[in-house]
Amino acid sequence: MPELNTEQDTQPQATTESKAPAYDPNILPDMLPVYYRRLFPHEPFYRWLNYGHSEDNIFVNREISFTLQDDIYIRYLCFETQAELEKEICTRNPYKIDIGPVMNIRPKNFRTVAGGLTPVQRELVFDIDATDYDDIRNCCSGAEMCLKCWKFMMLAARVLDVALREDFGFEHMLWIFSGRRGIHCWVCDHTARHLDARARAAVAEYLNILSYTNNVARVQIGDRTHHSLRRALKIVEPMFEEIILEDQNLFGSPKGVSKLLQMVSDEGARSDLEAYLQKSHEDGAHSKLIWESFVRYANSMRTSAANVWSRKLKHIVEEVQLCLLYPRLDINVTKGFNHLLKAPFCIHPATGKVCIPFSASAVGKFDPTTVPTISQLLQEINAYDDKTKSYMDAPEDKSRIKDYKKTSMFKGVVVFEEFLRKLERNFKTKSMDF
Amino acid sequence: MDFNLKKRARHDVKVEVISLEAKYPHNVMLYHYPPTEDIHIDEFEDLALERLRLLRVFDRATTKGLRILSDDWKEYVNAEMTKDGLRGYLRMGMASSGTKHEADVQMRRRDYLSHFILRLAYCRSEDLQRWFVAREMEFFKYKFAALSTAEIKMFLDANNFQIHPLTEEQKDEVKDGLYESTVGQSVSKIELLEFYKVPFTQVLDLVRTRRCYIKAGFAYVNTHDMVSIVGARQLEEIELGMQAAKAFIADVEADERIARMIKSLHNSYTGKDYTVCRDESVPIESLDQLSKTSMPLCMRMCHEHIRSQHHIKHGGRMQYGLFLKGIGVTLEDSIRFWREEFTKKMDVDKFTRSYEYNIYHNYGKKGSMVNYTPYSCLKIIKEMAAPGDCHGCPYKTMDPTSLKAKLSAYGLSAGGIEEVMYFVSRNHYQFACGKYFMLTHNSTVEPTINHPNKYFEESQILMGNRQKRAPGPAPASNKLRTGIKGGANRSMLNGDDDDELWRIAETQEKVYQSQKGIAEAFDDDLDLTEIIE
Repeated sequence: MPELNTEQDTQPQATTESKAPAYDPNILPDMLPVYYRRLFPHEPFYRWLNYGHSEDNIFVNREISFTLQDDIYIRYLCFETQAELEKEICTRNPYKIDIGPVMNIRPKNFRTVAGGLTPVQRELVFDIDATDYDDIRNCCSGAEMCLKCWKFMMLAARVLDVALREDFGFEHMLWIFSGRRGIHCWVCDHTARHLDARARAAVAEYLNILSYTNNVARVQIGDRTHHSLRRALKIVEPMFEEIILEDQNLFGSPKGVSKLLQMVSDEGARSDLEAYLQKSHEDGAHSKLIWESFVRYANSMRTSAANVWSRKLKHIVEEVQLCLLYPRLDINVTKGFNHLLKAPFCIHPATGKVCIPFSASAVGKFDPTTVPTISQLLQEINAYDDKTKSYMDAPEDKSRIKDYKKTSMFKGVVVFEEFLRKLERNFKTKSMDF
Repeated sequence: MDFNLKKRARHDVKVEVISLEAKYPHNVMLYHYPPTEDIHIDEFEDLALERLRLLRVFDRATTKGLRILSDDWKEYVNAEMTKDGLRGYLRMGMASSGTKHEADVQMRRRDYLSHFILRLAYCRSEDLQRWFVAREMEFFKYKFAALSTAEIKMFLDANNFQIHPLTEEQKDEVKDGLYESTVGQSVSKIELLEFYKVPFTQVLDLVRTRRCYIKAGFAYVNTHDMVSIVGARQLEEIELGMQAAKAFIADVEADERIARMIKSLHNSYTGKDYTVCRDESVPIESLDQLSKTSMPLCMRMCHEHIRSQHHIKHGGRMQYGLFLKGIGVTLEDSIRFWREEFTKKMDVDKFTRSYEYNIYHNYGKKGSMVNYTPYSCLKIIKEMAAPGDCHGCPYKTMDPTSLKAKLSAYGLSAGGIEEVMYFVSRNHYQFACGKYFMLTHNSTVEPTINHPNKYFEESQILMGNRQKRAPGPAPASNKLRTGIKGGANRSMLNGDDDDELWRIAETQEKVYQSQKGIAEAFDDDLDLTEIIE
């Protein structure tokens, strides 16, 4: 989608106008009402969950949950119309909105209906969290996220997006930056929404190649390289030097070298390699040197005679690359039919940032550090209002410009609209078929 | 006696004569139509037990961590089937020679019927059902893997599978992907193999393990992996069937004969017979050492009780005495062992009078001459221990605090005790025992413990003191029991059977003893009197 790329490049002018105010979590309750009333994209949000009303009850049986101030958690909400949803959001001003599955009945009736709730359909969702990369992040840890960290997310989104498209034939992926340290992906194709629990688990495991033994992540390629791994390698390999060797300088400490060693599953080979690396380098040698030695050693061992390096460790170089840069999925989120996931366009209470869609094809240009905070957005609309006030002495609603278009949230909403446009086009052609 | 499974009044007697071969045309059939023929209750039980033994073979293969359909797996399964006398089922997993034997067709019938019988027993709870379905699918794959390409075609036609192999052109379009991503086949083989294109949701097991090429939502499956497609249908078939079985289980259970059997089926012991030990004899001098290393908790506690108290009550004598016989303590040694301990508290005369007889009895040398079978876990778990008793399953009978103290005294770490107690708290005593085994043997594989003698044997094998037994003929003692009970298999069905045997034996004893006028034999602690009560 080239037209989208250009739009992402043109920064809305609003951001440059004044220095963004710092976000203060204490005044979030005061800001949320304005945000929900003026900025939250209620109409597209509803259009998404209604799926062109392609199936009965697809919107009204959807479980929505609100988290209110002080962690008051309300589950099993459901709404009859867009207006009702909008009204509820604007009166309750939730800290967080979660989206659950579409149920067999109205979720709010869960107590009164015999047999209870059964989920009928739900988007196939993926959750990738930067904290799962903590053992290989030297720049940040925990909830922090900088541009270097984002590169892990970027690769994860690229690898996953293309796998979902090419292998499973899915088209409608909605990618979301969660507002702090992770990304979500909602696969909204009809088949994806209707996968049963077993199929979800199979897809999750197909896409999750890391296995953990004693907390050490490993990847096993096997005899031949499955096409999905080969493709992932093509994406990951060009970034390996930049991310692992330069940005993170991962093997630049004895601890880092031992991480590399742990990924070699054969004990004998591991101690041989360790001796070799110790002999060739002093402690703290740059990652690049260590890596070059490692690759050279593995290659030379492989060519000599039939040994463990030419059999079990045949693909060790590729395995290490995948192990470090292949998406680290929280597969339980994907497996669960019932799992609730935070809705796009919520405000992350800790950072104040909008949980905003991004385009997987332009993920390289997305910068999580400049994602607007709620404080910034409110300032932006105020500034806009001030500027236009002089020649707008008419009643308040005369301006048909949507408020979010006046702010730096604009990009995200455009991505969302674009996603919706394709999704709905799908329903139109479908309905004409019949 | 005819036995009508469905309990539905059938007024018209069917006079259809369908040959067995028409009814069961293939080795591999989807279990779709429930059988309607009448079968004798004896056969009903027989079929059920046979299939249970079959499924347990697959269970053991899985517990051992063998990958399904791998060579190791097949080898193990085949060996176990031979050992368990399941040659008929074994033949179903062999490539057919082309000639049809009457026996093969009979076997298909057994296969078909027994599957449906076990559905009744296993639809009773989620857990049982999960176990059953997993094992049935393993057996299904085992059978299917033996089919030739022609047989697979026949099977697909017979069951209306609408799948067709790719044409050469179609295959050519995706050939790079096939070469790269078809696991388990060489490139040259892939060129020859036929491939089928199916929605990925039909072959989830292949998708999950990345064993096939997958593109745009379709998986490309070769003939060898066809079992995944067919298996998905079979799975659905069984799961639906189980729901149906659940619906009419109440009707079926109205017949007490069946109700009793299917309720106890899963827990019945069909394992190895330890009546006659075929290993080298174990000297009693080594018992102290062995009790620490190789005996399960139940036996170790009995042993220590005898050593400290120089006496053990009837239940304990039976449980421990038969166990000793099973591990290879000879009759002579056994008598010496009990005598040495007991005479620390009583004179030799009293021992000879009151206890010695019982030992001979256990070894099948006195009275009814029945060679008694060592107790299985199931029987031991069922034992009701009274105060002062030390037999029974300690995981069940001891209160958690003293059990923890015991485990700790036996050298388990706090963490280890927690692991064992986890299972105890959920009433999984055999798992607890297996965990104890792993911890005390530093073993990474958890053995399935269903018999204390198995525990002992596994332990000895692990320590290198014993060889794994080569598959051999069933122990001769089976014949002995067959003579008495009319079927060794069936006598394993419920754990009370040994008691029944006792009663028979005991009646004969009483006659014998009253005739002899050995009144003093019935003193305070005579075994036979205890059983009467």
